[in-house]
Amino acid sequence: MTEIREATTEPIIVCRDVHKWFGDFHALKGVTTSVGRGEKVVILGPSGSGKSTFIRTINRLEQHQRGNIVVDDIELTNDVRNIDAIRREVGMVFQSFNLFPHLTVMSNITLAPMKVRKWPRAQAEEAAIAFLERVGIPEQADKYPAELSGGQQQRVAIARALAMQPKIMLFDEPTSALDPEMIKEVLDVMRELATSGMTMIIVTHEVGFAKEVADRVIMFDEGNIVEEAPPNDFFNNPQHERAQMFLSQILD
Amino acid sequence: MTASYNDTLARPPRVTTGAAGWARENLFGTWCDALLTVICGTALALGLWFGLGWVLGDAEWSVISALGGRFVIGKYNTVAACAGQDCFWRPQAGLIMVAALLGMAWGIAGGGTARVAAIVLAVAASAFAFLPYSLNEMGLDVRLLLLACAPATAIGWAVATYTPLGTPLRLAILSVAAFVLTLVLLRGLSGVPGLQPVSVNDWGGLMLNLILAVIGITLCLPIGIALALGRRSGLPVVKVICIVFIEVFRGVPLITLLFMSQTLVPLAFPENFPLNSLSRAAIIITLFSSAYMAENIRGGLQALHPGQAEAARALGLPGWQTTLLISLPQAIRNVIPAIVGQFISLFKDTTLVYIISMLDIVEIGRAFISSNLEFQDNPRELFVFLAIVFWIFTYSMSYVSKRVEHHLGVGQR
Repeated sequence: MTEIREATTEPIIVCRDVHKWFGDFHALKGVTTSVGRGEKVVILGPSGSGKSTFIRTINRLEQHQRGNIVVDDIELTNDVRNIDAIRREVGMVFQSFNLFPHLTVMSNITLAPMKVRKWPRAQAEEAAIAFLERVGIPEQADKYPAELSGGQQQRVAIARALAMQPKIMLFDEPTSALDPEMIKEVLDVMRELATSGMTMIIVTHEVGFAKEVADRVIMFDEGNIVEEAPPNDFFNNPQHERAQMFLSQILD
Repeated sequence: MTASYNDTLARPPRVTTGAAGWARENLFGTWCDALLTVICGTALALGLWFGLGWVLGDAEWSVISALGGRFVIGKYNTVAACAGQDCFWRPQAGLIMVAALLGMAWGIAGGGTARVAAIVLAVAASAFAFLPYSLNEMGLDVRLLLLACAPATAIGWAVATYTPLGTPLRLAILSVAAFVLTLVLLRGLSGVPGLQPVSVNDWGGLMLNLILAVIGITLCLPIGIALALGRRSGLPVVKVICIVFIEVFRGVPLITLLFMSQTLVPLAFPENFPLNSLSRAAIIITLFSSAYMAENIRGGLQALHPGQAEAARALGLPGWQTTLLISLPQAIRNVIPAIVGQFISLFKDTTLVYIISMLDIVEIGRAFISSNLEFQDNPRELFVFLAIVFWIFTYSMSYVSKRVEHHLGVGQR
């Protein structure tokens, strides 16, 4: 039934039979999929379906307990060097922004390039300003996160992740904690990023955004993928009955 | 219409007017408030009346002036301790170094709390130089060294402002060096003329409380942080060691630990290791406070949103850098009140060293009263004075912590 569509280009993320338990709760039940280089994948699904857990396994914020995950030809194992190497290539944006409140916007962005990539301060700050310009708030560099609006904080978080020059960006419900009028400014930044050719995996409830940007939509339910299709097929002609039900609920 | 709307509603409405209005609102709002106000007001007035009456009338403050310098250095400068020579200049040299370091801090900070502290110390030391003792009781050399604190402050300020020594790191290094130098001066060096050794058993007074407090405060924070991190560590051995350490030192009263220090601490060192009562007391006080400090820090770490560490790890920062750069700074800032509370508590706990026969500021006063019949009716005056001395130090710590919190609070909400 479910059509497993291979990525159009060479895959940069390959997941085979990924399982994850929280205590006795089986959160991921053998997820198998791959993501191509430059592909934009949107993940939908009801809460508790495992979609956030799944993208958090890709940079090892959650440890998978069975199956394997290969990111950019590096397999995620317990080897800390592999984990660190993958985290350097994978940026992440969180629902609750998670900016460092004790550091200025500038320091938030330059911290990882200086400590992990060992860039000199001048180079890191120059890059930071460039990324802040890209997300549209270069004038906020010297403020602290708490002085910014939610939408601005999330844009700083995107700039912070981009500053490490990752090959892949993970978005874990990036607009769910935002007021409606701020959602657009964050989605605009993500749209711009999508046109630049970045590989993106986005967990979201923004159907309009999914239709417009996604190369492929994946739907999670009860810890596994139930439907996986290009947005046109997914929204107009869903195959699985769980997907049909879910869409009828969110598209009202 | 618009104009009148702006005029009437643009400002918050004023509810009360004047002192009478404020009192009616806050003190006599209901019959219950009024009753409380009358009762508390009467108690306050009576307390003030008798308190001030005693302070200004009946109190015999001569016990304070009779003790004089012994409050500050205990028996340090007595004939028995100093082999008949004058040793008062050694603790005074330490005080001058403190004045110079505070002057440097003022120069580096460019004002603020450091300036207040430097000026207060310089002014107080200069004022003490003019105490109305006779020159026999308080020599000219003692007075001149006290007066030297003010120029030392100025020199410190100038050094920090005009030379490359004026950075916080260099000030920290100089402070540690000055503290060690002070300890060496106080202890003396055998064979060096003018620096005949003085047994630490003769160190006393406020000097002793401050030395123990400085050692304890500087060391208990880093040890406490290490214990807190160890207790949260994933390595079972480290974790168990830290838990056992914390629970043992927190679970036993400090007095008991000080007693045990006489017999137990030497076991941790090689035989014939020159370990005196002062270092034993310092070790025990430091470890005791570290255990409490560890739990304060751990509380701060637990209050952090897990997303903070996740975001740092997702950026590729290794675990130790995540702890050092993201978790600890936030955790420590969140528990500054508890940390300073522990510092204050440590300072007050230094008075407990009387248990191992050391004459701290409280014990020297108590011993003086019980051995001088003429003052046996004046313990009230003595303890009121001691309370004020301790309050000045602890309130200063509290004030500095408030300033630090305010300073670090930038951008927090």
